[in-house]
Amino acid sequence: MKIFIRIALTSFLLASAAAQAKTIEITVDGLVCAFCAQGIEKKMKAQAATDKVFVSLEKRIVAVSLKDGQDIADDKLKTEITDAGYVVKVIKRSDESLDVIRARVKAGK
Amino acid sequence: MTQRRRLLLAFVVTGSLTAQAKPIAFADGTTVMHERNTNMLESQAFYAPTYWWSAGPGFMRLTSDDKQKQREIGYVQLNYLVKRWNLPAAQGNVFAYGGVGTARSTEIGGRLGNSETVWRYGGQGDYETRTIYTSFKVDGYRSPSFSHRISTVQLGYAPYEHDYEDLAVWFLLQARHYTGGLRDERERKLDQAALIRLFKGPIWAELGVNRERKTQFMIMFNY
Repeated sequence: MKIFIRIALTSFLLASAAAQAKTIEITVDGLVCAFCAQGIEKKMKAQAATDKVFVSLEKRIVAVSLKDGQDIADDKLKTEITDAGYVVKVIKRSDESLDVIRARVKAGK
Repeated sequence: MTQRRRLLLAFVVTGSLTAQAKPIAFADGTTVMHERNTNMLESQAFYAPTYWWSAGPGFMRLTSDDKQKQREIGYVQLNYLVKRWNLPAAQGNVFAYGGVGTARSTEIGGRLGNSETVWRYGGQGDYETRTIYTSFKVDGYRSPSFSHRISTVQLGYAPYEHDYEDLAVWFLLQARHYTGGLRDERERKLDQAALIRLFKGPIWAELGVNRERKTQFMIMFNY
């Protein structure tokens, strides 16, 4: 019973964290040119849950800030980036704003 | 040299500086290009429904060095991405393309004559990082009155690693070889050119000069 409660609690906390995520950060292979970035940016901006998009060729990341209370499923992200012609390596969610991520990238961290 | 050969010579010399952008920019993207130099103007518009194919019309006008002859070619072209390699900090591509159009040419000082069918075929392989660009391209043209093939190698270097929001600057060296008996005394020589390429956001511009001091300008928009 205790194990069941722990699993349920952990699941709830993880789900809450995901629901509260402000930003999705996706690491992409093949992201080396402005056209690559432009194509992926266009795909991400077309998503209903997307607020803003930031692309860094240097860090090979596509950062998507989400509208309040909305999300984009990992499978959908993979499909959209694959359909743009690139390969998704890592997807992670955070509470960082897009401006913070932009500043972090500019600082080379 | 006959007038026809002179016109074709002008064509391959000016064509030697033709921009070598990817024929497919990105999925659901439109590419509009215009290029101009002393002997040629060309416009193209391609739409890519997906990242692996695009199609669209083009128009080219060629004028001989002595301004006595002109050739106009209107065509439609299909571009296909055969293979792409997405690496952590690099990308490689192989493209194939083909098209068909009509060409009209003038006699000396005359009007444009009857049109004839022109077939266009070719392929391109490229590999790039954020500081190195290499490509190899073959372009062929075949009509009832002419046939030739142009092979091009480009090597590019970016002095700094640009990011998406930066102005990208590239310096390129280009070598090109011709077949089809178009260049008489220079048949066995390589045409050599130096180019500077700039792009930022959806705008791409390129300026180049070859060893015959012929310059060209190209501008392209992707949206």
